[in-house]
Amino acid sequence: MAFPTNPIYKLIKEPIRNEITGVFKYRDTMLLSIPIDENNTDYQEYLAWVAEGNTAEAAD
Amino acid sequence: MTVINPNSISGITSITLPSGDGNVLTIHTNDGVERFRIDSTGNVKVGTAATISPDGDLFVTGVTTATTFTGAHSGSGANLTSLPAAQLTGALPAISGANLTGIAATDNVRTGILDVAGIATFRNNVNVGTAVTITESGIEATGVGITVANINGGQIGGRRNKIINGEFRINQRSHSGSSGHNAYTLDRWKYARSANTEFSQDQSTVTPDGFANSVKMTSIGSNGSTGASDYAYWRYHIEGQDLQDLSKGTSAAQPFTISFYFKSDVTGTFAISVQDANSRMCNANYTVSDTNWNRYVITIPADTTGTIANSTAAGLEINFWLVAGSNYTSGSAVHTWGSYSASSLATGFNAHITSNSVNLYLTGVQLEVGSQATAFEHRSVGEELHLCNRYYYDVLGPAPETDFAFAVGMKYNSTYNFAVVNFPVQMRTVPTLESSTTTNAFYKLIGGTVDDYATNVMSKGGLTGARIYPNDGNDDHGSAGNAVVLHANNTSACQLRFTAEL
Repeated sequence: MAFPTNPIYKLIKEPIRNEITGVFKYRDTMLLSIPIDENNTDYQEYLAWVAEGNTAEAAD
Repeated sequence: MTVINPNSISGITSITLPSGDGNVLTIHTNDGVERFRIDSTGNVKVGTAATISPDGDLFVTGVTTATTFTGAHSGSGANLTSLPAAQLTGALPAISGANLTGIAATDNVRTGILDVAGIATFRNNVNVGTAVTITESGIEATGVGITVANINGGQIGGRRNKIINGEFRINQRSHSGSSGHNAYTLDRWKYARSANTEFSQDQSTVTPDGFANSVKMTSIGSNGSTGASDYAYWRYHIEGQDLQDLSKGTSAAQPFTISFYFKSDVTGTFAISVQDANSRMCNANYTVSDTNWNRYVITIPADTTGTIANSTAAGLEINFWLVAGSNYTSGSAVHTWGSYSASSLATGFNAHITSNSVNLYLTGVQLEVGSQATAFEHRSVGEELHLCNRYYYDVLGPAPETDFAFAVGMKYNSTYNFAVVNFPVQMRTVPTLESSTTTNAFYKLIGGTVDDYATNVMSKGGLTGARIYPNDGNDDHGSAGNAVVLHANNTSACQLRFTAEL
């Protein structure tokens, strides 16, 4: 299994500075680019998912 | 012994006058003027100005000087005219206002201060000069205006309604029909439900007077009864930094008032619950007694416990309950603030919907500081959209044309190009980019070529804009430094939006 089925998140690597800037997730047919921002509710959901022991797929 | 001298008589103990014309005693001064008389009826007269009658009446036409009047006085005060004000001192006796009659309209009550300790009731209009008229329906001031410290305990002007899109005019998602649990539908409004309580939510033109839109909620998932764990509510979150004037959690805490227009196919008692981020809550009920549009007003009391953080996080959540099973109604009513209890969220609710196609309409939702509901604060569509954009920005708009260009950028190196999207307003937080994934939904112009692609990725975002790139793998078009313009290719399949909802 792999993203987006399992795991449901995948890290985003920013190409210019080659740093992780967020996580991907699919919601229905939409691709979500979720930033690393603790006030972002999508990112809060991601943190809760990680807290349950899950790990996002590595970035390309 | 009686002694008669030229100048005096002494020793007389009784004088009896003769009968007939002589039955009168007069005394004259030497000039012949009568100074004293006792006539046949017993009246005693002193000169012509004073008469004392045998029955006790005293008639004086000159000045009366006395040190003390004692005993009860009665009679008409009609002749008590022209009394000097300085002589009317001390406390007047308590008298009925009914006796204060005959006061002339313009002459008798006109200067000084009218100090009323109790309730003053004016049974007709009150005019203050010529510029201010107070009537039963309001105050009309044609002069300088009204000087006041506040209205309803809050600010005098400007924005009072803390609810954005309270009249449901903005629907950036073009939402209609059903949605999943906890999904945003019409802007700023979220819908939460359990398994058997599906409602469709549609922007409606069925409204009370003065409104263009409402949200129509139609039951489509009823299984014929309300189970204990069934629930559905229409929910709204407000940023904590926009609630600081409530002074919640302090000794200066203020109440706030929620008002709204509601129309329902079912009658009965509905519920609203309010929750903060401190696990505190308050609930209230409103009774729908007919199927017409009615305005309902609920005042939530001040809460001196549980400060609302001055931040971009949610400070309050307001829930309009549509379905409430016993798991949410069996607790104690919490009509003043108390600790969160799921079983108390919707106490009193009994407007159970047990069939499909039941319609509920809501609009004109207003939340304002103070204990009074003022008229709904209408805002322009543009202003309302701008407020919504802080939480949701649909880049392509409601109906973009084919070939709609939405971002301009450049090719950074041989494989990577990016474009910049600026937001119309600073968003609440760094937003999530949501991009549709339909094949060839987008295209970019770069280096003299048209290059289709399916979706977009946000590589770096901020509060005011984001850098995005077409997610089309290794791009072999153009060269570093070429301009890139991103377009929507198929408007029915293209969606590109930034979300920073609560």
